[in-house]
Amino acid sequence: MNGTDIDEITAYVEAVRAALVGLPEATRDELTEDLPEHLAEVLADGVGSLTERLGTPEAYATELRISAGFVGGFPDPPPTTDPLARVRERAMLRLRAADARVGPLLGYPRVSEFLQLLRPAWWVLRGYLAAMVLAWILDDSSQPMGLLPRIGGSDVVALLLLAAGVLGSIWFGRRGAPLERLPRYALYAGSAVLVLVALSGFLSADSNARGADFTDVGYSDPYNHVEDVYIYDGQGRLVEGARLFDQNGMPIRLGRPYCFGDDHAGGEVAADDSKYPYCPENAPFRLPGEAGSASVPSARPTPSEGAASAATPSAAPSPSR
Amino acid sequence: MDTTQLLKGVLDLAVLAALRDEDGYGYDILRRLRTAGLEDVGDASVYGTLRRLFNAGLLNSYVVPSDEGPHRKYYALNAAGRAELQQSGKIWDGFASTMNDLLRERGTA
Repeated sequence: MNGTDIDEITAYVEAVRAALVGLPEATRDELTEDLPEHLAEVLADGVGSLTERLGTPEAYATELRISAGFVGGFPDPPPTTDPLARVRERAMLRLRAADARVGPLLGYPRVSEFLQLLRPAWWVLRGYLAAMVLAWILDDSSQPMGLLPRIGGSDVVALLLLAAGVLGSIWFGRRGAPLERLPRYALYAGSAVLVLVALSGFLSADSNARGADFTDVGYSDPYNHVEDVYIYDGQGRLVEGARLFDQNGMPIRLGRPYCFGDDHAGGEVAADDSKYPYCPENAPFRLPGEAGSASVPSARPTPSEGAASAATPSAAPSPSR
Repeated sequence: MDTTQLLKGVLDLAVLAALRDEDGYGYDILRRLRTAGLEDVGDASVYGTLRRLFNAGLLNSYVVPSDEGPHRKYYALNAAGRAELQQSGKIWDGFASTMNDLLRERGTA
C-alpha cells in the first residue's frame, strides 16, 4: 500500500463520514472505525479506484446506514431497563395480539382497522359532547338543559351550538397535520373528560327515564295503600255497588278487586272490579243493627247481589260533568 | 426480481452462515458470500451487517496483525451467534420450502 492509496482511503472514509449526517458522533466513529483497514483490503484486491468499485461514498454511506440498522438518523432504541417501559411494551404486545385475534369476529383483519372506520362517528359525538360541556359552562340559568346544549333554555342557541360543535370537531378531525407532543396530550385529556361527561350524562338520563315510572307508582302515590273503597251516604249507611268516575267519565280504579276473609276457603276471591266496595263485609264503619260480615256470614252479599241491589247508584256522576 | 431486495432480509443469516466454519475479517466474508453465489451483495452492506451483529452480541472479534498490510479485525460466531444461526436457519428452511411449494403449485397449475 502506497501513499496514494492511503490518501484515497482517507478521502473516501471522510466522505462516508460526512454522508452519515444526523447520526450521533459516537455512532459515526463506531461505524467507520474499521473502515480504513477494510477499504485497504478492497483496494489491495483487484484494480480500479474505490469509487469505481464501491460506488460513491454517499451511496456507500446509505447502504452502511441501512445494513447497520441506523435508518433515518435514529439508532435502534437500546434495550430498555425501565421496568415501567417494559410493562408498557409487554402490554402493547398483548394488545396487538388481541387486536389481531378479535378482528376476524368483526369481519376485519384487526379490530383497530374497524375502529378506524368509526373515527368520523367519534368526531360527531365529540362535537356534540363539546357543545354540551360548553353550554353547561356558559348556561347560568336555572332551567334544565335537557339533551341539547341549551343556553338559557333556548332551542335556537342549542341547535346553532350543536351544529358549530359537530362541524368544528369534524374539521379538527380531518385536518391531517399531526400535533406536537403537548397539544396531543391535551387532546387526549380533553377526549377523556368528554367521555366521562358522556358516561355521567348517559347514566343520569337513564335513571331519569327509569325514575319516571318509579316515583309515581312506587313512592308518591298517596292511594298506594288503598285496597278497597267504602262509600257512605248522608245517613251514614254503606253504599254498595257504587261506581266511581273522574271528570272525564273514566272509571276510577282503586285497590285490588279481591276479597280475603272467606274463612272456610282461606284464599282470595275475585270480585267485580267495577263496583265498590269489593268486599262490603270488611267495611270499617257500621250503623248499629246493620249486619256484620264476620259474625253473620249468611248476610254477606256476594258481588252479584250487590250489583243487583244497586244497579244504578244515584250517586254516580254524569260523565259530561 | 432484484436480488438485492431479497438479500436485505437474509443478509444477517448469510453472514452468520459464512462464519459458521471459519472466522473471517470483513473483506474475507464478502468474498466468501460472492464465491458462494451472492454476487450482488454490497461491500457496505456486509460491513454494516458485521457491525450490527457484533453490537447485538452475536459475534466476537479479535485483531490479527498482518505483515504485508493493515491489521485485520476478525469476527467469530459466539454461542449466541450459533444459536441465532440455528434458529434463523430453521425459519429460513420453512420459508424456503413454503416458497418452493408455492411456486411449484403455481407452475403446474
